[in-house]
Amino acid sequence: MTDPFVETRNLTKTFYEESRGEVRAVDSVDLTCRSGEILGLLGANGAGKTTTLRMLSTVLRPTSGEAWVMGHEVRKDPERVRENLGFYSASTALYPKITARETLRFFAQVNRFPRERIEARIEELIDRFGIGDFANSRVEKLSSGMKQKVSIARTVAHDPPVLIFDEPTVALDVLNAIELRQIIGRLRDEGKAILFSTHIMSEAEQLCDRIAIIHQGRILAVGTLDELRKSTGHHYLEEIFVHFARVRDPSEAEVESLRRDRP
Amino acid sequence: MRLTVPIRAVFGLEIRTLLRDPRTLLISVVLPIVLIPAILIAGDWIESREARATEALSFRVAVEGDRVDLARALLLRVGDETPPGAGRDPTSRFQFVDLEEPGEALADARIDVVLHAMDYGTWMRGVEDGSVDPGPGGPPGEFDGAPRLQILFHSDRTSSREGAQALRRHLLDIREVRRDSILLAAGFPVPTDEVLVVESVNVAPPEAMEGAQLGRFLTLILLGLMTLGGSAIATDTLAGEKERGTLNTLLTSAARRQEIITGKLLAIMAVAFAIALIQILNLWLFLGLGIVDVGGALAVRIPPEAALLLLVLYLPAVALVSGVLLLTSAYARSYKEAQLYLTPVLLALVLPAAVPMLPGISLQSAILLVPIANLGVAVRDLLMGDIHIPSVMTAWAVTALAATWVTRRCVLAIQDENLLLGDRSQEEHTGGEGLFRKQVLVWVLVLWGVKILWDFNIPVQDLRWASLLGVGLVFGLFPLVVIRRFRLEPRRALALRMPHPGVWAGVLLGVPAGILTVLGVFQLVDTVVPVPTEMMESLGQALTPEAIPVWQLLIFVALVPGITEELTFRGVVLYGLRRRFGPVALALVVGLIFGIFHFSLFRIPTTATLGVILTAVTLLTGSILPAMVWHTLNNAAAVLASRDMLPGIDSEWLAEGVGWGWSVSGLVALGVAFAVIWRFRTPYPEVGPPRVG
Ligand SMILES: Nc1ncnc2c1ncn2[C@@H]1O[C@H](COP(=O)(O)OP(=O)(O)OP(=O)(O)O)[C@@H](O)[C@H]1O
Ligand SMILES: [Mg+2]
Repeated sequence: MTDPFVETRNLTKTFYEESRGEVRAVDSVDLTCRSGEILGLLGANGAGKTTTLRMLSTVLRPTSGEAWVMGHEVRKDPERVRENLGFYSASTALYPKITARETLRFFAQVNRFPRERIEARIEELIDRFGIGDFANSRVEKLSSGMKQKVSIARTVAHDPPVLIFDEPTVALDVLNAIELRQIIGRLRDEGKAILFSTHIMSEAEQLCDRIAIIHQGRILAVGTLDELRKSTGHHYLEEIFVHFARVRDPSEAEVESLRRDRP
Repeated sequence: MRLTVPIRAVFGLEIRTLLRDPRTLLISVVLPIVLIPAILIAGDWIESREARATEALSFRVAVEGDRVDLARALLLRVGDETPPGAGRDPTSRFQFVDLEEPGEALADARIDVVLHAMDYGTWMRGVEDGSVDPGPGGPPGEFDGAPRLQILFHSDRTSSREGAQALRRHLLDIREVRRDSILLAAGFPVPTDEVLVVESVNVAPPEAMEGAQLGRFLTLILLGLMTLGGSAIATDTLAGEKERGTLNTLLTSAARRQEIITGKLLAIMAVAFAIALIQILNLWLFLGLGIVDVGGALAVRIPPEAALLLLVLYLPAVALVSGVLLLTSAYARSYKEAQLYLTPVLLALVLPAAVPMLPGISLQSAILLVPIANLGVAVRDLLMGDIHIPSVMTAWAVTALAATWVTRRCVLAIQDENLLLGDRSQEEHTGGEGLFRKQVLVWVLVLWGVKILWDFNIPVQDLRWASLLGVGLVFGLFPLVVIRRFRLEPRRALALRMPHPGVWAGVLLGVPAGILTVLGVFQLVDTVVPVPTEMMESLGQALTPEAIPVWQLLIFVALVPGITEELTFRGVVLYGLRRRFGPVALALVVGLIFGIFHFSLFRIPTTATLGVILTAVTLLTGSILPAMVWHTLNNAAAVLASRDMLPGIDSEWLAEGVGWGWSVSGLVALGVAFAVIWRFRTPYPEVGPPRVG
């Protein structure tokens, strides 16, 4: 088997906050993601998904532990890491005053895509993501569906082997969400290694090859849906998720069930 | 440095964004372009109108007294009595009005001046029964027997003041001519070798004068416009991007942090530079080619080489302004916040640019080490045709170095997680201490802006009111506002705790020791940048005017600042900053902040020293009370000393510098005082950055 494109070992991030003191937002996380695979990070709000992905994209520095993208360590070689990945999140905004085409050119350039191939690459992206009709319109004039297409195109502008999607569908309507999932599926088929975070169970079920359940900064379980089903005896991902969350935190689960038992 | 593809891409993006936003373009580029000519033309227009108005201005004069005839004769018989060179016929400026009650008319502003002409006898009688003011000489004096002319006016009205002045000058001239002609008529030839003729002739070459005029404010204008213009792009760039979420995208791209900052910095610089260029071209076009005819002070000729040299000189200033703007944007978490910072930043940048306006500042002094100010002075010298190449090059290098340092801070700022993650918004709404810790510097900057606006725009003549409002109200209200806004716990935020009783011994010893130490610092400053004596005197007068009784001075100069300034600086400001620095750095920072609130350049080092001492005491005792007592006693001692009321201490001795021996002894005693305080210390809680595992 080939080396994984993404790998983390004991990746940990601690924040300090006045009200809560030290927060272990990410706690000793070990993950791998290979070429042609979508790894789902499934967790509730505040579970540590964004923090993990931000460490992988070198925006945050790990408190301890290591992470590699295409063999480059995030702390030692952050620029090479970023060259090899594209980051997309629901809040990923575009520059309003430039056109779609200029956006793609800008991101190809800042990501050091070979200069002589940039123009050809832009045409290819415009073609592939159906941007042709509005390639020369300013981003501020586009509809949100159009912006979403431009956003994805700019994420892959430099053709990186690793793609990170942080809850990409939260702000989308159903049709746009479906389209986005289809696009992500196709990117996987091209051999990209894809990290995909979500708190929506059905989305993880449909799209992800393997699922990592993350809760309070820790990975509680990793595996394909089948493996998770076997190990827990539950069928639905929701039940599986609750199963692990309870095991992790029995006292909390008890309080929860007590509360539910009350009339 | 190589201009890599990412740098050029970022640069291009910023410039495109600017050019495609008509509003920003208007504010940052078009407005400055038309501003200078508009100012010049308007100034020209106002000046010529004013000149015409002054010329047209005549004064209404009423004549009274038993020698009205003499007064009229003097004022009307000017044809042969106007002294040579007096210019236009002065009688034309006086318009006589016949009135029953000239005194009342003067009070009602129906006339400007009253000329009261009396015989000597009348005058004497008037003085005796109190109906006539004896005048400055008092009775009797020189020229007993001569008629008296008194000019009555109201000093609170410009027209009256100026009318009286013009009338007095005119009468004096006539008196002189009359005396000479009487002497001559009586057969006394005026011995020319014993008469002094005094004339003043301005021999400065015209270029120097005009250059000095222009050079004094050119830097100020350019810097102000560059800051305003550059800010349009700067606030939008990092702060705006945090808000829109594009910064996160940019930071996950392969571009290096350095490249991103360089690209953005170059874009701001391009705008600022374009503005500087346009202004210099403007000046050259409008003044050099004489499109606007601004006679006199502004009529300076700037040869093209000089204009070019000016641009080169301003280059590091352009870089520094751009860097500071970018840094501000990097520290702000939103577009709005960046705009909030803008006023104080503008002031901070413009203040050194105003240095060339100060009289007597030479480039061969400590000013050489102050970025921007040094270039301003260099430009002034250049325009006067007086350049000292090594100093100019040093000035250039110092400012360039400062710009490099600021740029480096920008790079660090976009790597700082706490500054980056502008999206942690829950806390933003709930308020609380954590939020205050994040915003404390902004609040301090705003307070600084308020204080500066207050001090320079609200002239309060009476020291007592100035102290109550400008110090008591401003620094007393600030802690209250902050405590309310962030719902802080007042006792903790203001460090209202009782210190160990032993601390007071240290404070009592520390006050005189501190004064000697601060005086030592003052001497040190004085050897580096000589402090003008007039400044010292006027400062002393401002602080302890004669007319106010000592007990009131003790309240307004000692107690009010001693309490309210402490509540602000050793209270909430220290509380808000305590997590950011270790104790030593914290004392320095709070001390310096305290210093910059005393706007006079020469007072900053001394007040900052006092500030550091007071902060150190607060940090050691965990209480604001010793600092309040210390501060009050310190100011009280200064008040008493200025009135020579401290036994055995002469105010001259303090004012002239106590000498190094005393200040070193003071420093040693201060060490002892601090040893005592250390002995009984109960340290300020939670100082220094929290430890993260
Ligand atoms: N900059 C920060 N400072 C302090 N605490 C933080 C910071 N960023 C995140 N946290 C905390 O770390 C934990 C993990 O947050 P994270 O944003 O990674 O969760 P998430 O799984 O992405 O949740 P969501 O579904 O809400 O996006 C949370 O408790 C959060 O409050
Ligand atoms: Mg998240």
